[in-house]
Amino acid sequence: MSASIHAAQPGDVLPTVDYGRISRTRLALYAGASGDHNPIHIDSDFAKKAGMPDVFAHGMLSMGVLARVVSDWAGIERIVSLSSRFLAITPVNATLVCGGEVIERFEQDGVPHLRIALLAEITDTEGQTAKTLAGEAVVKAEKAA
Amino acid sequence: MGQTSKIAQGFFKRETKGMKTDPIAFDVEAGRISFFCEMIGEMNPIHHDADAARAAGFPGIVAPPTFAMVVDTETGRAAERAGKPSILTLIGCNLARLLHGEERYDYHGLIFAGDRLTVTTEIVDFEDKKGGALELAHLRAEIHHEQRGLVTVITRSLVHRLI
Repeated sequence: MSASIHAAQPGDVLPTVDYGRISRTRLALYAGASGDHNPIHIDSDFAKKAGMPDVFAHGMLSMGVLARVVSDWAGIERIVSLSSRFLAITPVNATLVCGGEVIERFEQDGVPHLRIALLAEITDTEGQTAKTLAGEAVVKAEKAA
Repeated sequence: MGQTSKIAQGFFKRETKGMKTDPIAFDVEAGRISFFCEMIGEMNPIHHDADAARAAGFPGIVAPPTFAMVVDTETGRAAERAGKPSILTLIGCNLARLLHGEERYDYHGLIFAGDRLTVTTEIVDFEDKKGGALELAHLRAEIHHEQRGLVTVITRSLVHRLI
């Protein structure tokens, strides 16, 4: 059970978001939904010609799931900033799990804030795991009016 | 510097550093928010149902945190339709070698279905890394709403694999 946001302290772990498998169909549909039509994510002929073994997932698909860790827990209206570094590519058909942990509680302009470290991890079809995104979010932690 | 020959292999058009695009408009549609949310597995009804969003205290269907990238990519496409280069074309992106380095959003307000937004992008800088194996482009985009002003600042680095 994670702490309520008002009382949250460094070390508190946020509930993980389990996205499941990132199929080719999902990549094609995400390309349409997001507007990122780069063929490296949807056309295996193009990906192989570019020297990749196959298509790989849009980094922003994983960042969208990473953001859910924060918005599910804190509420979207509390999010001040969200950032991510992309550490490794996500091969097609990998499974994705995202999680987060409160790393700092601080005051800014008299309002309590929390800094949350975020991490996306995948398991590929060979069973190999990898950290793919390392992110951070800042959320307002005051009680609702 | 000793790296000149490797740097010369880059694709980014370094001369575009400092350029800023004209504002391009994007109309936020409810269906687009819902479709995007479904693809990232976000099924909270505030992103899919206007009544549920209003019941939760929002004026309408709410865009999720990374929807800013949809606004950004679609204004790039709108630029190309209007015969102008998108930001990716402008800086010389090679899609076969392109990777995403970093993405950051600073939120000044939420985005809702029905919003008319405009995007302006600034080409901040270019950088070489790992002895010329990678080249980076640093971009900064602002998303504005006609009444509510600045809603999101996007800070992004794009990477070319050069080896």
